[in-house]
This record gives sequence, C-alpha cells and structure tokens, in this order.
Amino acid sequence: MTPDLIADLRAFGAAAMKEWRLLRRYPARMFGFLFWPIALPLAYVYQARGYAGGSQAAVEAFAQRAGTAEIAGFLFLGWAAYMWLSMILWGPGTALREEQVRGSLEALFITPASRLVVLFGPVVSQILWALWMFAVVGGALVLLYGVPISPLAALRAVGVVMVAVPALYGLGALFATVVLRFGEVGALVQVVRGLFTVFCGMTFPIVILPEWGRALALALPPTYLIGDLRSVLLTSSNLVSLAPSLVMMLALGIGLCGFAIVAFRRTERFARRGGSLAQY
Amino acid sequence: MTLELRAALAVARKELQIVRRYPLQLINEVAQPLYQFLLPSLLLGATFYVGGRAIGLQASAGTEDLAGYLFLGMVVGGLVAAVFWDMAFGIKREMDAGTLEPMWLTPTRPETTVLGRALSGLALSLLASAILVAVGILFFGAAIAGALLAAVPALLLASVSMIGVGYGIASLVMVMRDPNFMIDATSFTFSSLSGVAFPVTVLPAFIQPICYLLPTTYAVDLLRYYALGTRPLLAPGLEWAALVAFAAVSVVLGLRVFLRTEHRMRVQGTTGQY
Repeated sequence: MTPDLIADLRAFGAAAMKEWRLLRRYPARMFGFLFWPIALPLAYVYQARGYAGGSQAAVEAFAQRAGTAEIAGFLFLGWAAYMWLSMILWGPGTALREEQVRGSLEALFITPASRLVVLFGPVVSQILWALWMFAVVGGALVLLYGVPISPLAALRAVGVVMVAVPALYGLGALFATVVLRFGEVGALVQVVRGLFTVFCGMTFPIVILPEWGRALALALPPTYLIGDLRSVLLTSSNLVSLAPSLVMMLALGIGLCGFAIVAFRRTERFARRGGSLAQY
Repeated sequence: MTLELRAALAVARKELQIVRRYPLQLINEVAQPLYQFLLPSLLLGATFYVGGRAIGLQASAGTEDLAGYLFLGMVVGGLVAAVFWDMAFGIKREMDAGTLEPMWLTPTRPETTVLGRALSGLALSLLASAILVAVGILFFGAAIAGALLAAVPALLLASVSMIGVGYGIASLVMVMRDPNFMIDATSFTFSSLSGVAFPVTVLPAFIQPICYLLPTTYAVDLLRYYALGTRPLLAPGLEWAALVAFAAVSVVLGLRVFLRTEHRMRVQGTTGQY
C-alpha cells in the first residue's frame, strides 16, 4: 500500500468516526431511529386494513398482485428501504451543504485528503444505522405480526442490503454533487424521495403501475432492493434465485458510483474556478 | 386589540413574503403531499381493488371513492402540518436566527407573533388544499359533491382548536433544544389518529378513545360525511358540538400554557438560548 492510500484510508476512518460522533451527540435522533421504522409503516398497515375492510376478496386481490398475503411485512420492508434511502439522501448532501454554510467546505477541500473521503466517508456509520433500522423492522414484524423470519432469511436480507450499498450510496454521492452545484438541499431531497416513493413500490407492487411507470421503476435501484428484501424475507427465496436482480443492482451501483465520482470532480473544478465553494 | 390584530396580520404578511421568495418550496406545498402521501396511498388502495371497485373501503368507511376519501383527509392533514410546523416550529427558526428575544422586546405581545405565524400557515395550507382538491377532482376522479361547502365551518372550528394546540406545542418547542423529532413525530401521530389516511375504526380499541379527543377527527369525519356520504363516527350534531367545545377550550388552555412558559423563560433568562 502506498503512503497516500494509507493516509486516505485514515482520513476515511476519521470521516466515518466524525459522522458517528455527530449522530451520538443528538440523542433525540436516536428516538427517531426507533420511532419511524415502526410508526411510519404501521400507519400504512392500518390504511391497508381500512382498504381491506374485512373483505376476503380484497385481501386475495392484494395477495395476487403483491405475491404475498403478508400485508404488514410487505409494507414494513418497503418503508424500511424508504427510510434508508432518506438517510442517504439527507446524509452526504446535507453534510456538504452544512460545511458550505459553516464556511468550512473550502478549508476541507484545501486538505490533501481524497475527495472520495468527503463523498463516501459518512457511509460507514450510516450502514450501521441502516442495519439497526432493518433490525428494528425485523423485530417489529416478528413480535407484532408473528412474521416468521429465520436466521438464514435474516442473513440473506443482510446480503441483499450489502449488494445494494454501492447503488444507494452512488445515488447519495450523485445527489451531493447536485447540492454542491446548486446549493439547495430540502426541496431536492423531497422531490427525489417522492420520485422513489411513487415508482419503486414502497407501498404497492409495481405490477399495478402503467407500462411506462414499470419501465421507469426498473431503472431505479431501490425497486430491486425492495423486491429482493420482500422475496428473501416473505417468500423464503434464496439469493441464487435472485441473482439476475442482484447483478442488476450491482451493475447499477458500479455505474452510479463511477458517474458520481466523475460528476463530483467536474463540479468541484467548476466550483473552484467560479469561487463558489464558500458561497451559499 | 386592533393594534394586536394588525401586528398579527403584519407577521403573517412577512411570513408569506418569505415563502414567496422560495418558489420551489411553494410548489412543494402542493407537490409534497401528492407524491409523499396521496399517490402511494392511492396505489396501495388500488392493490385492494376487486373488479375495479374499492369494496373494502366501502365496508370500512361507507364510500368507494378512494381518491375523494384521501384528498379530503389531506385537507385536514395540511391543517395539522401548518399548525405544528409553521406556527410552533416557527419559534425555533426565530431562536436559531437569534431574533426571538429582540422580537419579544417590542410592545407586541409574544402570543400575537405566534398567532401571525399561524395565520400565514393556515392561509398557505388552505391554498394548497384547494389546489389538491381540484387536482383530486380533475385528475383522479374524486367525486366530491358540492355539499362539501357545508363542512367548511367544521374546518374553521378545527382551525381555531388547532391554534390552541399550536400554542401548547410552541411552548414545548421553546423549552426543548432540538425539537425537530418531537414536532415531526407528534404531527405525524396527530394526523394519523385523526383519521386523515384511514378510518379510525380500524385502530385497536385501546387507541380509539384518543382519536375522539382530537378536534381534527371530527373535522375530517364531517368533511367526508358531507362530501362523500361516509358513515359518521358519531351523530353529526354531536360532532359539531364537540368541535365548538374544543374550539372554546383549547385556545384558552393552549394560550395559558404558552404564557406561563414564556414568563418562566423571561424569569430564567433563557429566551435567547437554544
């Protein structure tokens, strides 16, 4: 290993530790990590109960379209993916924006550390939180709804999450680049998150979308993450049977990360030339 | 009294002016409920359709008009969000900007500035709701009858009650250092338990009594009863009476809590801290 690489790895570790410390300093956010993974899907479970209205025919219609009669499991897993995505979209983009507002972004970019550290440093601590959130969701499904989740199925789910990491963090990094270029976070997060909510099947099976909607859904990585999580946890599929979907997710991840790195470098060059790193 | 009212209107005008400066945020007032709540809920509802009909919703709520049911729910959801975020959380924004203490040093009463924020929030929410209902009727086939106008007084009464609730929540914001989660969680829970997204009768029996303690439950129920002909939770006369009672009690109670908290903060000298 070259000294530069070692130094970058140390900087990467330091960036991860910084994010972890920031998360620990705000205990109210910890409540959020416990509250939202249960409260948000729970509201939709009650909504689904209202839609079913005790009618067997309505429940069967759902099962036929969704491929499972496990309504609570279906919704909890969809929203768990949504929350992970939210965390990623708010994470790196907001971190860059905050550095910009505080006036420390320019100073950060003067250091010799690789820009990849700035982009992907927060990933480590966020993966821990994502795993925690999926554990809360799993616990809620087992304890509240009696959904049987075997240790093997849980391990398969962790495998799916790991395969999804490059794709989702690639999206996060790309989003951070847009934030750096346009200096806007809140509204952008809402729009991008809204797009995923409407097309990726968080609350519904994508088969009910029109053809163009399905085509769009299949171009978005969260669609595969949600579908695969439901398959391994609700229909006991193994990872081999999901290979095409996992490979697709991995390919999208590699493409997105590569694109994000190139876009980030170009944006950084643009910002340096225009002197906009310290502006907001 | 007239001066205080003018001050409240001036604060509302200032808030609306700030909002106008961020057009993307303004568009989001309408777009966000659409893509974050209404569309996912409509698509989930469509998954339960049998032969193109919402027979389950008919059984649980008394209507097959899924779009109408959800868009009307969103009207009350917007009201709750306006009070929690614009009225109560607005104080946090003033605290962050360091302008709360100087503002409270002016001769205008603190409760007036909070009321001003409530008025601007409610006006925005009303506008967004009108656009959303129009979208529901034009693009999603919501068959909301003209009788909807009969329920407008219910919305006004609920708004008065919610201003009282907003004063209470604003007091909590003033004493908490990091109220984001509290506001987010309580506003979500308040909306959910009001039946914005589903009939409250599907909730567990031990939770349902809480729903009957919220003014917004009656507002959304009356709105749907008049516009869609859904089954009301109680006799409509009783629901109107409950709304009037809530409007009278909650403002007095909320204002009292707010004034006590504000007084304590002045005594302790914590108004400028956050």
